[in-house]
Amino acid sequence: MAMNYNPVTPRIVAELRRIVGERYVIHGDPEKLTALSHDAIADPHYAHMPDVAVRPANAEEIAAIMKLANRERIPVTPRGAGSGLSGGAVPVLGGIVLLSDRMNRILEIDRENLMVVVEPGVITNEINERLKEFGLFYPGYPMSLEMCYIGGNVAENAGGGKAVKYGVTARYVMGIEMVTPKGEIVEFGGKRVKDVTGYNMLQLMVGSEGTLGIFTKITLKLLPLPKYAVSLLCLFPSAAEAISAVPRIMTGSGIIPTAIEFMDKQCVQISCDYLNESIPREGAGAMLLMTVDGASEDQVEREYDLVGEMALRGGAFQVYVADNATTAERIWRVRRNISEALTLITPNQSSEDIVVPMAQIPKLIDAFESLSARYGVRVPCFGHAGDGNMHSHVLSDPSWSAERWAEVCPRILTDLYKLTASLGGTLSGEHGIGHKRKKYMPLVMSAPALEMMRAVKRALDPNLILNPGRYSRTKLERQGGGNGAFGQRFTHN
Amino acid sequence: MRIIVPIKQVPETNAVRMDETTGTMVREGVEAIVNPLDLYAVETALRLKEAHGGEVIALTMGPAGATKALREAISMGCDGAVLVSHKAFAGSDTWATARVLAQAMRKIGAFDLILCGERATDGDTGQVGPELAAFLDLPVVSYVGAIDGLSNSTLRVRRLVEEGHELLECDLPALLTVVKEIANPRLPTLQGKRRARLASISAWGPEELGVAGEETGLKGSPTRVVKVFRPKIARQCEKLVAADEAGIEAAADRVVAFLKEKVLL
Repeated sequence: MAMNYNPVTPRIVAELRRIVGERYVIHGDPEKLTALSHDAIADPHYAHMPDVAVRPANAEEIAAIMKLANRERIPVTPRGAGSGLSGGAVPVLGGIVLLSDRMNRILEIDRENLMVVVEPGVITNEINERLKEFGLFYPGYPMSLEMCYIGGNVAENAGGGKAVKYGVTARYVMGIEMVTPKGEIVEFGGKRVKDVTGYNMLQLMVGSEGTLGIFTKITLKLLPLPKYAVSLLCLFPSAAEAISAVPRIMTGSGIIPTAIEFMDKQCVQISCDYLNESIPREGAGAMLLMTVDGASEDQVEREYDLVGEMALRGGAFQVYVADNATTAERIWRVRRNISEALTLITPNQSSEDIVVPMAQIPKLIDAFESLSARYGVRVPCFGHAGDGNMHSHVLSDPSWSAERWAEVCPRILTDLYKLTASLGGTLSGEHGIGHKRKKYMPLVMSAPALEMMRAVKRALDPNLILNPGRYSRTKLERQGGGNGAFGQRFTHN
Repeated sequence: MRIIVPIKQVPETNAVRMDETTGTMVREGVEAIVNPLDLYAVETALRLKEAHGGEVIALTMGPAGATKALREAISMGCDGAVLVSHKAFAGSDTWATARVLAQAMRKIGAFDLILCGERATDGDTGQVGPELAAFLDLPVVSYVGAIDGLSNSTLRVRRLVEEGHELLECDLPALLTVVKEIANPRLPTLQGKRRARLASISAWGPEELGVAGEETGLKGSPTRVVKVFRPKIARQCEKLVAADEAGIEAAADRVVAFLKEKVLL
């Protein structure tokens, strides 16, 4: 079976302008469209130009766009802030990019039910800025929180730095309004804490990477804002010692920290150089960054002291304490800037998002080391040690050409993913599959399981209009308008 | 070496909001931290102690809650701390503050060096350090970017000026105000925090210091805030659009002419 898409003609552009208004269509402006051709992945190999971008104001306009796209057979790729790391917002087959930046209102702060209703284009951090005065917070904490949109967080089921204690985005998504791939407006869930009325469509949509629907309203559960938080930066002689201390810290203290972040020596070095930061760290082979939060200063003080003590007993040789905004920001920015600092080293790299059962992390780190040795690459490693989600960047040898990297990288990743699978792990914990990891899905998922996912996609989006080229086996091709070669890239029968 | 580091507790600047009508800072609910620029003075003092032995004493004037700032200094490695606190001191300007702090320094006793931050991030005057030196009749070097050496109670320092550094020598005891370049502040450790929690901090008021009421607070402050206003920032933007090579040339010429006009070239 082959799916043919049509090019975006001037007639279609005119129709889009009628739907959203003249000034909210971006067309024939290569500079603006180039910015929408990629997400936060540095490698240009994963980029693809859209033909046109639209900035709708509401669900009705999006519904009209989807109906038009179905009628004309044009792919539509929804996009949040573009901070993704899996190519999920890249219009791999061209067509229409649908932006949510105009739908950026916080619609309701419901203090009685501890919920907030937002539009998808609200910056995640803004939600908490607004909630602060009510003593409430939304626990999602992706590392890109100062730029990413809540819609993207829900589409990717974002995890982040606080998942060990608070869980990931899905736990807080109580309701959505969305536009279906065929252009209907539907609602799932609501402000009900319990709901088993029918299939759990809500949670099918969370993490569907913009392939099953476009969110237009999101209802999120809130928690009382912890008043106090203290972060600890623990220095360990080696990565193995740092990682093996993690379960000991939690069981020994009986406290689940809000965050347990791991950074190896390379990551700390690279990020500190990038930030011109000089935290004393001689002899540190790895660090754990932990945060403890709570309602009273005394309780948090007792808890961080105990967690710090357990870190020392677990092999840490130094524990720094950050209990105010100045010091906390100083140590957290080292962690938050690792990814960006790494991307500056070489364009030839692959940012990974592997997740394994927590106790398998030491074996995973051994695997990174053996891959480094076998292929002559660097694999600096950091991530969420408290939940087994490790971010490593596989960095090309700087002397390699882009072609050589393109040839070697898939071999490294195949080895890495096979090993991950053997440890009970999988490809992605929070970044998503996008089009970056698509071809590796069979390494971690059986053929019948994959077929079930494709059946869901076909049932909801028979014309494969919404963000196509992700899990599909269908041969996807564009008619005319260039880019024909990409049809090949999205076939793997 | 005995070093005293006067520090100030300030509102965390990223969290500060301004009251639109009064033009003053809204301090309620804002976290109080050690003035970030004072941390460079603390770090410099601790390094001198590590190199030459001695002790470092942190000193602050403020409400009772300012002990938190002193405990942070102890957790970084300071050996002792003194809080100067009394309602009679409230509202002191830089001059009255320096006068009270000078008295506290005398009471602390013999010292070799006073290290101050460049200025506090809330008041932004940078006056208290040099005023202290005046009250105590000490040599003062401001904007110190590096300490090059110490021999026979003479300190060699590099003072940051517009076009480079001045190399200066000064006899101890002396007062220095330091800038960011001097040293990156260390982070408090778990052991340091424990020590700080247990440390006893003396609190001195007008009686302990022997200063009269009319010398402090609003009464003792010659500075009067006449008016507080928000400066208007007017940006005058000129947009140059170049479509071809000649246009780019013309635009570049315009930029050069503009910079010359403003005496920037």
